[in-house]
Amino acid sequence: MRALVLFLLIITALLLQSTVFTYLQVAGVKPDLLLMLVVFNGFLRGSREGAFLGFLAGLAQDIFTGNYIGLNALTKMAAGYLVGLAEARFFKESAILVSLFTMFVGVANQVLYYLLLYYLHVEVSPYYAVIQVIIPSAIYTGLLVPLSYWKFYSSNEEGWLRQRDY
Amino acid sequence: MPRNVSYKNFIFLALLIGIILIVMRFTNVGRVQVSPMESAIKDGLAPVQGLLMGVSKNLRNGFDSISSLGKLSEENKALKDEVANLQGQLYLQEELKQENARLKDLLQYQDQFKSNFNFKVAAVIGRDPGNWFGMVTLNQGSKNGIAKNMPVVTSLGLVGRVVAVSPNTSQLMLITDPHSGVGAMVQDSRIPGVLEGITSGGGEARLIHVPKDTDLTEGQAIVTSGIGGTFPKGLPVGRIVGVSNEPTGLFRTATVVPFADLHRLEEVLIITTIYNPEILPATEGD
Repeated sequence: MRALVLFLLIITALLLQSTVFTYLQVAGVKPDLLLMLVVFNGFLRGSREGAFLGFLAGLAQDIFTGNYIGLNALTKMAAGYLVGLAEARFFKESAILVSLFTMFVGVANQVLYYLLLYYLHVEVSPYYAVIQVIIPSAIYTGLLVPLSYWKFYSSNEEGWLRQRDY
Repeated sequence: MPRNVSYKNFIFLALLIGIILIVMRFTNVGRVQVSPMESAIKDGLAPVQGLLMGVSKNLRNGFDSISSLGKLSEENKALKDEVANLQGQLYLQEELKQENARLKDLLQYQDQFKSNFNFKVAAVIGRDPGNWFGMVTLNQGSKNGIAKNMPVVTSLGLVGRVVAVSPNTSQLMLITDPHSGVGAMVQDSRIPGVLEGITSGGGEARLIHVPKDTDLTEGQAIVTSGIGGTFPKGLPVGRIVGVSNEPTGLFRTATVVPFADLHRLEEVLIITTIYNPEILPATEGD
């Protein structure tokens, strides 16, 4: 059940990002809903699961957009791993803390993405990259965390996202 | 190496990253054809995306109406209940009115340029989920005669070009995408340059490689130069909002804001045939 719910969440996040959030752009950017999912999962379940879901969610995004297959898979896998390192060290009930983590990981994720763009010969001025994409998208994504983290957290504890022990 | 990371895992991870880096290179934007799997996914999700875009448009109009209601006078507040009852119909009417106005604009544009171009109207059904690339999914594909590199415009100006096509959808690359390069020139002084995208989020492009001694000022209109062959000459593109020197000191760069609102695209015109690109009437774009 958990795998199915996560799969549906990934598809829903992708569809919302490419449609509804086009009309809800702030400072020209959309939030990264997939990254939010990856951060939640990594923060609650650790590096291994964080990286795994990050890879799958990123790969789904790459296939959906059809360009540079692996670019988002790699960056979101790194993001999931990174946030998973904090799993055992912090208080999991704090949405504010997760919000700050999301902003931090959002910046790290986008910086890695930016570096990989150079590898792919896509040159974007660092000034524009930071001002127009990296900072605004990290802040926007982080600010949306308190609206959705509790639902994910409670589902992970008691609901459909809970890992059953057999 | 940390104790909990075995050499087996490390080799697996290194292999995975290596494979991804290679795949990334072979799946760039300039590919001639998308794979059958990607094509099937795009076509399969197109109806859902179209539906969600429609719902989002209505929601946005609803929010706009609600926020404007808050600014009405006391007299209008007394009528609030009645307005609430009629709101649903108003949203629909407003939506139809706006759609009608947009289509009318496109139709006028089509009539104006019918001796130059053949057009196909396409609706936007999705956008790139990320913030770097300006890729837009349109509801017209190869079945409708759409092919790669066809220019895309609105009644206000150039929007971009088609970069990939599946049977029922096509991918439009906006002129603000960092891959985008358009042969352009300053309309009044005829100074040529290359208009390159920056990031989709910024909504701006830059006219680069303009010689330093040329007259480049804010407010000047930019049109396509026809150089490169993809875009016909004379299509309005945007207006200069800033000028700066390039680090080499030999050239100047102009920041250009497109005439078309690329964040709010709903319908576009794909130029399917160009009859005579040299006799375009002069236009300011807005």
